[in-house]
Amino acid sequence: MLEDWDDEQLLAALGEAIKARAAVPSWFVQTGKNAYAWHNIDAELAQLTYDSRTDADAMAVARSETASIRALTFTSAHLSIELEVADGSLLGQVVSPQAGTLETHTKAGVTTSPVDEAGFFAVKPIPPGPFLLRFRTTDGAYVMTGWITL
Amino acid sequence: MGLKASPPGPAGHDDPAAPALCTRAAAGDQGAWDEIVERYAPMVWSICTRFRLSDRDLEDVAQNVWLLLVEQLGKLPEPAALAGWLAATTRRECLRAATASRRPEPLEPRDAGVTGEEVIMAERNAALRAALAELPASCQSLMDMLVSDPPYSYAAISTALGIPVESIGLLRARCLERIRESSALLGLAEIGGNRPEGDPGA
Repeated sequence: MLEDWDDEQLLAALGEAIKARAAVPSWFVQTGKNAYAWHNIDAELAQLTYDSRTDADAMAVARSETASIRALTFTSAHLSIELEVADGSLLGQVVSPQAGTLETHTKAGVTTSPVDEAGFFAVKPIPPGPFLLRFRTTDGAYVMTGWITL
Repeated sequence: MGLKASPPGPAGHDDPAAPALCTRAAAGDQGAWDEIVERYAPMVWSICTRFRLSDRDLEDVAQNVWLLLVEQLGKLPEPAALAGWLAATTRRECLRAATASRRPEPLEPRDAGVTGEEVIMAERNAALRAALAELPASCQSLMDMLVSDPPYSYAAISTALGIPVESIGLLRARCLERIRESSALLGLAEIGGNRPEGDPGA
């Protein structure tokens, strides 16, 4: 392909390639590079399987008195992490219920919260920016969520 | 978040550079990871800009797209189709973020999916930038000035780069030849029919 292009065509293609790169803010690229910090973190990535804001069923709920409660569920092969935002705190439930430790990762660092025998935990205050939760079971296995901003 | 393992890519195209980069990054090579990000961040960004996302949403999308890739590095079914995977993943994360942010206005005015052609263009752009990066600094500076919009005059280029005006044409031809011969462009021959604007066609 490129061998067949004349100089003008190749130059035009180079111009497009350079322009596309120049349009990207440096923080956006850096965010991508920083993600590598999670490489080899031995944790299962749980998928967001329910979000009260995006789930179609939420439209019905939106008319009820629970409308203001944001609820999210992350599911991995082994367990689920259910989250609810209420009264300035983030309440969570590990299903199936089990004790462990919950890490809240933000740009500022990591804080930990206990998870009781019933699988219940609370994160206070709600992180103001993006955060990611990582649950450590008593067996030492990890399950983590993707990044969330509430 | 919408973290799904492997969405279908919009393109059936292969980027010959991608599998080796994925293998190296999966083995712990941060440099290879950075190169993956450098190559495809422009495509990810360009898809994101079709959605009216706040900076905060954009950051969430970027974090999750790349986090998903970190997790999938060694497991991608078709590492050569990395760009297509990234395009589909980015679009899905953008849609999720746009829906969750509950904006009153239409959320995706220009979104009609990501076409295979766009992915191929992104792969080609990445390869061209990689080829450019291999050139001597003098060639890189010259190419930057030549493609600048509005273009620099040869007189301005001559002053900036310290080369005689009459040598610019020759240097330009030599630099372009080196790009054509660059190993970074190997395998791109399969990307036919997607020439830049102004191409009269084969």
